[in-house]
Amino acid sequence: MSVVRSPFTPIRLLMWIILAIGSFVCVFPFYWMVVGSTLNPNAVIHGNLLPGNELWINLEKATKNYNLPLFFWNSLFIASITVFLGVMVNAMAAFGFEKYPSKAREWFFGILLLTLIIPQISIVLPLFKLVAGFFAPIDMLFGTSFGGLLDSSWGIIMPFLMSAFIIFFLRQNFKMFPTEIVEAARVDGSGEWRIFLQIAMPSMTASFASAAILMFIGQWNSYLWPLMTILSDGTKTLPIAMSSMMNAYTIEYGGLMLIVTVSMIPVLAVFLGLQRQFVAGLVGSIK
Amino acid sequence: MNRKGAFARYLNRSGWLFVTPALVLFGVFMLYPILSSLYLVTRKWRGMTDSFVGLGNFVRMAQDNQFWHALGNNFLLMILQVPLMVILALVLAVVLNQGIRRGRGLVRLMFFLPAVTSLVAYSILFRILLQTNGMLNNLMLSLGVIQQPIGWLNDPFWATITMVIAITWRWTGYNMIFFLVGLQNIDPEIYEAAEVDGASKITVFFKITLPLLVPVILFSAVTSTSGTLQLFDEPNILTNGGGPANATMTAALYIYRQAFVTNSDFGYATAMSYVIVLIAGILAIVQIRLLGDRK
Repeated sequence: MSVVRSPFTPIRLLMWIILAIGSFVCVFPFYWMVVGSTLNPNAVIHGNLLPGNELWINLEKATKNYNLPLFFWNSLFIASITVFLGVMVNAMAAFGFEKYPSKAREWFFGILLLTLIIPQISIVLPLFKLVAGFFAPIDMLFGTSFGGLLDSSWGIIMPFLMSAFIIFFLRQNFKMFPTEIVEAARVDGSGEWRIFLQIAMPSMTASFASAAILMFIGQWNSYLWPLMTILSDGTKTLPIAMSSMMNAYTIEYGGLMLIVTVSMIPVLAVFLGLQRQFVAGLVGSIK
Repeated sequence: MNRKGAFARYLNRSGWLFVTPALVLFGVFMLYPILSSLYLVTRKWRGMTDSFVGLGNFVRMAQDNQFWHALGNNFLLMILQVPLMVILALVLAVVLNQGIRRGRGLVRLMFFLPAVTSLVAYSILFRILLQTNGMLNNLMLSLGVIQQPIGWLNDPFWATITMVIAITWRWTGYNMIFFLVGLQNIDPEIYEAAEVDGASKITVFFKITLPLLVPVILFSAVTSTSGTLQLFDEPNILTNGGGPANATMTAALYIYRQAFVTNSDFGYATAMSYVIVLIAGILAIVQIRLLGDRK
């Protein structure tokens, strides 16, 4: 630690330069993005680095030409429902696997973990066929016409509610929750459901926050699966809307920059507000 | 005895109740697709109809140069990008851990910011930034660094470089966090002992710090390799569909395009996706072998 105390050495100067360049490179695109959302398209391309005065014009373009509020709402709805139902389902499973040991369930847990290896591109193809004709068996039996879940928010939510990784992560955390407490509550006459909801869950809010953040960001930023299943403008999420804007014949760069900025706000807010849980969720993956 | 048996049954039933919702979802959205892919892979789609081709899709794949070219691109990006990023992340972590005391949290936060960005958002930003008439070229031209604009996205060579730069920007801070945790887990007494023995800083780094970080380095290298194998968002958006001239076409993008863009042949796309599973499986085994006994 003598490096820190010594006032000035060449190696310390070098370290400062590395850190300064590194931070600049990391932060600059964000600065440029925010500035870009106040500029007209030409100024964005040319690379003006000082804020302009077209923020309101860009906001108008983003809402009128691109329907930003709808895309934002679609993304928010999908991510929130995924977090709400997903954390519940995965927490229940983690609790069940950890606090009710059995050989059969351990076997299922093993299979669950094994599927973590499968890359997304490989699972989405058969998944697409399934979701496209999701209600086909019901339709055939009852003569209804529910069809499938393509081009629907639920078709994006449901396949990703269960997450083997989140179950694994929460189970690791439930290991730290003493089984004695579960047993004591049981002796006191609490039902299992109540033990889970009123005793286990409240004592693990930090872990649930990490799990919720991971699930929220995964769904908020998700691209491949929505790209496959979303067909109409009305169901587009922000990533899909943004990427299709890039393919348009004329691109309103200022409006697009504003939308990119807005699309980052929720994740940045969660990250800045809950940094510790955020990083705990990431690092938890190797512990 | 009987009461004890009833209690055990009660616990077992409760256990099943807790895991059932997850297992049902797992069965429907994971196991069923995996099993049904065994059927898909034997079919060939022509428009709305499909027919049985047995192993025909695999035969076709073996002769499909474009697919192997795409997979080759994945490996090229791996070889270029993963070592660069791991070294960079390691350097930043060490510098951050030693170089400054005040403001360390802020610098760490700035380094981590790219990892919070969605792949779509940063791909769009980089694509606008790197256009031939875009800001980076304009800046470099006006500074006199280059005489001609660089085709960051239009020239096959530069497009590959662009991918390497973009992915490195996105993931270095993320990997740095793991190295920082690794560095902080090293017992300070080891350093003190080395200092007493008169070891130089460079000796300490190469003889003590680096060997102790090997597990984290391996973890970071293997997960990054596996990530590079699955590259999709960047080639689809940043280089607009794996361009130019398929220079940045990746396996995942090629598979997607076979199923949704150029063709709608799910059987063939599934056959190719099996190769990706196979490689991912090998990587997972490598990861377990390398890291399993160290923990």
